[in-house]
Amino acid sequence: MPEPNEPPIALLLDAIEHVMNEGSIAALATLTSAPKNVGTKILVPESGPAVGSFGDVALDKAVAQWATKFLAARDEANLFQVRDLAPELTEWAEASILFERLQPEPRLVICGAGHVGAALARMASLTGYKATLIDDRADFVVRDRFPEDRIELIAAENWNDAVRQAVGNGRGISVAVVTRGHNEDEECLRAVITTDADYVGLIGSKRRTNIVLNRLREVGAESEKLRKVHAPVGLDIGAVTPEEVALAILAEIVAERRGGTGGSLSSWRRESKREQGNA
Amino acid sequence: MGTIAQGDLYRMISDAKERGERVVVATVANTRGSTPQQRGAKMLFLESGDVAGTVGGGCIEAEVWSEAREAMRSGKSALRHFSLTAEEASEEGMVCGGTMDIFIDVIGDLR
Repeated sequence: MPEPNEPPIALLLDAIEHVMNEGSIAALATLTSAPKNVGTKILVPESGPAVGSFGDVALDKAVAQWATKFLAARDEANLFQVRDLAPELTEWAEASILFERLQPEPRLVICGAGHVGAALARMASLTGYKATLIDDRADFVVRDRFPEDRIELIAAENWNDAVRQAVGNGRGISVAVVTRGHNEDEECLRAVITTDADYVGLIGSKRRTNIVLNRLREVGAESEKLRKVHAPVGLDIGAVTPEEVALAILAEIVAERRGGTGGSLSSWRRESKREQGNA
Repeated sequence: MGTIAQGDLYRMISDAKERGERVVVATVANTRGSTPQQRGAKMLFLESGDVAGTVGGGCIEAEVWSEAREAMRSGKSALRHFSLTAEEASEEGMVCGGTMDIFIDVIGDLR
């Protein structure tokens, strides 16, 4: 516990650390320009009381309320004028406040450390995802193959326990099921389907993924969750090699997280004939 | 130099706090036009001269470095405006233009 006589910034850093360790979400507001107290911060957790102060109780209250709106908008960061969020506080009208979203770093759980899974783990790690790579063949998940310490390696005694433990409740987590065989895929998907993972993808042809999904339906898996499984996994980029397949999967995961369509940014040039010639 | 994960950033700030050192954090607060980094991108400057993260590659980083060094000295946090016109950008052979507001934040004094 922090000492009561610690400077405010130390208390705030402790509170941030707590949010990070907990894996919860919070808004961090920083006074960026103002007649006084520039650089002071208020941390507003999604649930729980705010920590810190801008030195004005009325402003602090307005910030805590605005933080809820800011978090709902899913912005990573945004700069606001006090006149936008609390027009009645005229002495702060010209002041600006930076709101930032604190959230757990995105995680990707990969079932299967074959060629596709290995490439996906490396690519995801490069893209800023904390990757967890699981295989039941212990010699496939050794540090020699994956020197990157951001890639967590798990040798599974059985798929079900390992996958459940890695995915937890699934919040903030994407899962790619890319094992060597359809029985293993089914076992992993069965463990994942009970969680609230943000994204679940299953590798295979249309036909083979249908077989797996149908088997799960027969054993009573929730149909709403089965409907959301990306099967076959990945965007259609004509991927052939394992690395290309990994790229197609990662692109779909990023699109899902960021709200992208997965289409070409240039498609408008061809869709709208009137634009041709101006381009 | 790539982007820095939030967890790593705050861990580095806490470590600096343990050592009783000052930290400067540059955060992209606002952007207009075709800028190289999104709002929220951060770059961390340590007293040792070490840095982590990025606020936008070569385009404005030199200016941000010098502002950060100045802030490290003065201890004053401030919102700074950086602009790169298309003309300057093409002279430098860079693809970015537009303007960025970057908050240069001195975190300390913790000693």
